[in-house]
Amino acid sequence: MSRFLIQRPLPHGGRLVERVVTDKEAAKKMIRGCPSYDIKPTLHYETGVPVRNVYREIMSICYGFFSPVEGSMKQAEVERILKERRLLNEWIFPYPLVFDISEEDYKQLGVGPGDRLVLNLKGKPFAILDIEEVWRIDNPEELAHLTFGTPERNPEVVREPFNKKHPGWVIYRSLQPVVLAGKYTIINEPKFRPPFDRFWYPPRKSREEFDRRGWRTVINHQTRNVPHVGHEFLMKCAAFTGDVEPCHGILVNAVIGVKRRGDYPDEAIVEGHEAVNKGGYIKPERHLPTIVLWDMRYGNPLESLLHGIIRQNMGCTHHMFGRDHAAVGEYYDKWATQILWTKGIPSYGFPAPPTDVPYGLDIRPQNMREFSYCPTCKEMAYSETCGHKREKLSGSFLRGMVAEGVQPPAIIMRPEVYKVIVKWWKHFGYPFCNEKYVVNKEKELEVDLEDL
Amino acid sequence: MGEYFMVVLLDDYRMSKIRGTGLEENIKYMFGGELRLLEVKVNEELKDKILQEFDTARVDSRGAITDVPVAFMRELFNQVVEKKSLGPEVVEAVLAKVDEIKKAAEKESEYLPPPEIE
Ligand SMILES: [Zn+2]
Repeated sequence: MSRFLIQRPLPHGGRLVERVVTDKEAAKKMIRGCPSYDIKPTLHYETGVPVRNVYREIMSICYGFFSPVEGSMKQAEVERILKERRLLNEWIFPYPLVFDISEEDYKQLGVGPGDRLVLNLKGKPFAILDIEEVWRIDNPEELAHLTFGTPERNPEVVREPFNKKHPGWVIYRSLQPVVLAGKYTIINEPKFRPPFDRFWYPPRKSREEFDRRGWRTVINHQTRNVPHVGHEFLMKCAAFTGDVEPCHGILVNAVIGVKRRGDYPDEAIVEGHEAVNKGGYIKPERHLPTIVLWDMRYGNPLESLLHGIIRQNMGCTHHMFGRDHAAVGEYYDKWATQILWTKGIPSYGFPAPPTDVPYGLDIRPQNMREFSYCPTCKEMAYSETCGHKREKLSGSFLRGMVAEGVQPPAIIMRPEVYKVIVKWWKHFGYPFCNEKYVVNKEKELEVDLEDL
Repeated sequence: MGEYFMVVLLDDYRMSKIRGTGLEENIKYMFGGELRLLEVKVNEELKDKILQEFDTARVDSRGAITDVPVAFMRELFNQVVEKKSLGPEVVEAVLAKVDEIKKAAEKESEYLPPPEIE
């Protein structure tokens, strides 16, 4: 065996967190006599529009995507994350994750440390929270600033102060004041509605699927977009990394969560990626589109850290990062993620890259620039190798074309992918997420629950 | 004083409507010939009118007018076919329907008619 062969990394923290009770009788016993609480969406602190649903965090924690996180964080843990992006058990982690409720709800519940709270979702028992600590967020605005950083404190990568135009900042700014900290356990597994059900590969299942397919090396592609050919080339060409051989598999992991107007619908995103392999552009044996539930915080380098954790937990050896990774607006340097993974960002607690600090990550970053069409090479060409003038494709140009109902040429978007857009366009009456879609999604979520 | 223009994208469906109008020889190509388009001339006065009527509209560095409502772009194509021309009279004819377009544009944030493909 070559000494260069790369092995699949262990989960972040050494073992997968799995906190899902599948035995209904056992689950019923666990919740007998316990108080219960209906999960509420986090509403925008000014407009009242839903901006987050904590159920997505509970799912991602209990199925192990966020290993080694096990629940809603205690105050000391949140403070440590804000200072050096580490959990109390030393492992690195970018964001505070809390179960927050209003003072009124807290008074009404009358719970405290040592109590078990049943969390209902869509009127059905869903999970339990074993409360270990109750603490308060005194100043959500300060929490929001500390979570993302400021130009003064994080001069390496933060370019503008965060404000209410940033959806991640708004999530933290909108949190309720009382935090119930403690471990979550899912006691009634939600069922994903089509088309999401077939893309659900939580870490244990994805690792088993990699084994089944003989994938030792797997590169992840983060997405919240319908793939155009530029994305396809990023996926294919980044996969030529690996070790002695190119990567065995390309894992597409779509972040499914609260949407913003103008995004593509999640249904079109997952099926659009699937269309890439159905059409043979990347053959199905090498390609696996999947989902993770998470309301995007758009924290660029911090988000990339979370993405690294999720995909290492899923069993990936590599992670592709592009320009403006998981970014919105101009708050961060557009190469902030690359800076984190190549030299670290000391002000966030990373004097070295997250792969080179104690209790860090083992997944390998693959930083990529851009692909676009070169009329001289007569192919999709890489910005760092092609020396010609290329025809750049802007996202807004493509969106304009789609909105106008003009089918993009196959060198821009594969016809199979476009068909998926049109399929969901007919379904929702709109090619992108409109107000109705955004509101409906947060009402219906991606799952249904049975009686316990 | 400069020359302004608007881009009309041509997919297979639109190509079939263009055939026989005499406009075929004006077709321009991008992406290795895969993207076909026509450029409709816009004069100074019409450009100002467009910018005044539609506050999303912009003029890019090449002089292309972009970011007008989809309803405008659809009507632009219709008028190209109707007038069999790429001259300023095309945009003039589109602007004659400005109220209709604005009404359609209002609904565009919630509904857009899907293309008729299978
Ligand atoms: Zn070239």
